[in-house]
Amino acid sequence: MEFTMKKPPIISNQQRSYKRSLSLHISLIIVSLTAIFTRAFIAVPEGESWVPDQMFKTFLMLFTGALVSVLIELVYSISEGTSQEFSEYRRLVDPINTGLLIALLLPTSTPMYVLILAVAVGVYVGKIVFGGYGYYIFNPALVGVLFATISFATQIEYGDTPLVLLKQAIEGQSYNFELIDLVLGNYVAVAIGSTSVIVLGGVFIYLSITRVIDLRLSGTFVLAILIISAIVGFVNFGGAMWNYVFVNMITGLTMFGAVFLVAETVSSPTSREAKLIYAVVIAIMTMMVRILGTEVEGVVFAVLLGNMLAPFLNRTVTRSNKKLFIQTSVILAVVVLLTGFVLGFILQGRLIEAFDAMIQWGGMIA
Amino acid sequence: MITEYRQYLDPKKVWIPLTDGTFKLASVQVEQDDAVTAGQIVAYKYSGKLKTPVLASITGTVVGFEERLDRFNKYVDHIVIERSDSNQMITHEGLDDDVPAAIIRQRIEDCGLRQFNVDGLYTDIAFERPIKHILVNAIYANEPFISTDYDFVKQHAELIADGIKLLQHAAHAETATLIVDKYMDEQTLEALGKATVDKGIEVVQVNTKHVNGWDYRIAKQLVGETISPNLIDNQILYTSAYAAKHIHDAVRNGRPLIERQVAITGDALRVNVLYDVRLGTRLEDLVDDLGGYDDGGTYMCHVGSFLSGEQVAADSFSVTATVDTIDVSAYRQEPEEVCIKCGECNDICPAGILPQNIMDAELRNVNARIVDLHTDECIECGLCSYVCPSKINVLEWVRRAKRRVG
Repeated sequence: MEFTMKKPPIISNQQRSYKRSLSLHISLIIVSLTAIFTRAFIAVPEGESWVPDQMFKTFLMLFTGALVSVLIELVYSISEGTSQEFSEYRRLVDPINTGLLIALLLPTSTPMYVLILAVAVGVYVGKIVFGGYGYYIFNPALVGVLFATISFATQIEYGDTPLVLLKQAIEGQSYNFELIDLVLGNYVAVAIGSTSVIVLGGVFIYLSITRVIDLRLSGTFVLAILIISAIVGFVNFGGAMWNYVFVNMITGLTMFGAVFLVAETVSSPTSREAKLIYAVVIAIMTMMVRILGTEVEGVVFAVLLGNMLAPFLNRTVTRSNKKLFIQTSVILAVVVLLTGFVLGFILQGRLIEAFDAMIQWGGMIA
Repeated sequence: MITEYRQYLDPKKVWIPLTDGTFKLASVQVEQDDAVTAGQIVAYKYSGKLKTPVLASITGTVVGFEERLDRFNKYVDHIVIERSDSNQMITHEGLDDDVPAAIIRQRIEDCGLRQFNVDGLYTDIAFERPIKHILVNAIYANEPFISTDYDFVKQHAELIADGIKLLQHAAHAETATLIVDKYMDEQTLEALGKATVDKGIEVVQVNTKHVNGWDYRIAKQLVGETISPNLIDNQILYTSAYAAKHIHDAVRNGRPLIERQVAITGDALRVNVLYDVRLGTRLEDLVDDLGGYDDGGTYMCHVGSFLSGEQVAADSFSVTATVDTIDVSAYRQEPEEVCIKCGECNDICPAGILPQNIMDAELRNVNARIVDLHTDECIECGLCSYVCPSKINVLEWVRRAKRRVG
């Protein structure tokens, strides 16, 4: 009998990092399966391919993404002499997550070599170079997807997604969106992952309960998108604003981003205030890209910008207290509201008009 | 799970450490082969100008002095006393309510009650500096086997309330607060309520199911400012209900502190018990009395609170006044994973500092950043290590950072 001096806290709570990545893993698999099955009822453009083909292509992409990611990490660990770890499933969870995420963030029509290159760049440049899981500063999946969307812009073609139609609607055309179709994921999606919002919502709730995702990140993100899109919709459409809000919330990777991209812990800030700022910055960037940019599906860019800011945000905070937290929340709420109005008026080209009105209003008060 | 209540009041020999964590110098007042009586002063220990007595806990003969491991995991000199048959004990005269505060203070000092709790935020029962608030904790949580039935508190509720009152009187304190658990059984709560109702003692209920540093929060509410690692700096005297009961005994009945209740738990032991133990008894004697360890293997011996207690390298240390719980459990390997930067340590920290960022700065060796992050405000409560999902010992990193910047 002997006594050890290791591990001073004799007890700790039930949370485990591995359990969390496992929950995330399961959620990703559920979302992947949903994405494969929703292909069955999405209308395919005439003469391109038939439905089973689409389903198989989706499956193949997800499988290849995961496989290539695992292979790259395996090859690297063989060169490091740590390949023994891969005998456990534990070590496979994170590579598979990254691979699945990259595949889920690309459209079904992506050529396989683009996917493989995206995974290679994401996993090697985005993750292994920085030292593997827990050390990277940019979300590796997003690095891969960004590489693919910029380098192979012509190969990654997606049709008129609801958001593209929505942008055209603001410019004067009119479209009819079927709410049921949008909710079930039956629309031309920018990526495989932009699937049924019911499943994504369920996953969101499950992951919030298991504390895998932080509501201060995802919740703030969703809330900010909701408020900005509501204001933009109100300024432009008046009574029909809810259509605008629904399309913004349901399609275009909003929920997917909230669940899997914004709440990614390693590349997000660590303190309460910084988390709020981070989520709001991403939400504002997302809406700005959607409204002003040419690439309307802008969650990927927005989250990468947020990742870029995260170390800076971490550096600005030296301690957390209630007062600072409330101050930050109030300032951010004001910023979100202002952004909504500014974006809404920019869309209508009425910013100057609104500015004049404000001055007049100010004059009236004075 | 504590299943039994036992006594171990007649050890053949006791080993009493002459120094402790704070009082590091001792002058011995007896010699080898001297006869001593329980409660007699055998040595004085010093910390700077302060001195406090070391009492013999049994009546017998001094058989020698030994250098042994103590409960702070340090090798210090112990006085060894062998028991004789007599059950004599030195008692002082009982005191009434109308005695001056100075006499009560002197009595508490003489009865060896200066240091009763050392874990976490607990302070010494010291009156050198002004005290405004008395904070007494009746909660007795010894995870991972919380099972205490609060029988001690229930039985001695009146005495505890009187002890708190005496403390308040001795310190000229403005307020006295008693912390109780929401999940105590009703009889205990009722007994405490009855005892405190007409004494002007405020009772605060906390939910111990949430491990979130409630005592820190209560102390912060009391003073309304950022509190320092030593609560005496903020004019708070923080001690446990056990100390209050012993203060009552010392002042009213003149009984010196020579025995105390210790909870001995852990899955390495056959039975988990609440022990009435003579101070100076070795843990190994107690374990023998309990029937030994379950089976061979690697154990962890942990003294005190499960968050901020002390890990001891052997079971040969002796029980002192500052030992309230001992946990001997089998060592379970838990692999440390990489920090996923979830920020839960930052959320839980009762002092409001950012342990994750401090750890990061310590890993990168940036002294200026460590200073910027208010590392000196850490009270070493251990909650950051408790909540970490990657099972990183965050507290150890923060301690290192603290040591680095002094």
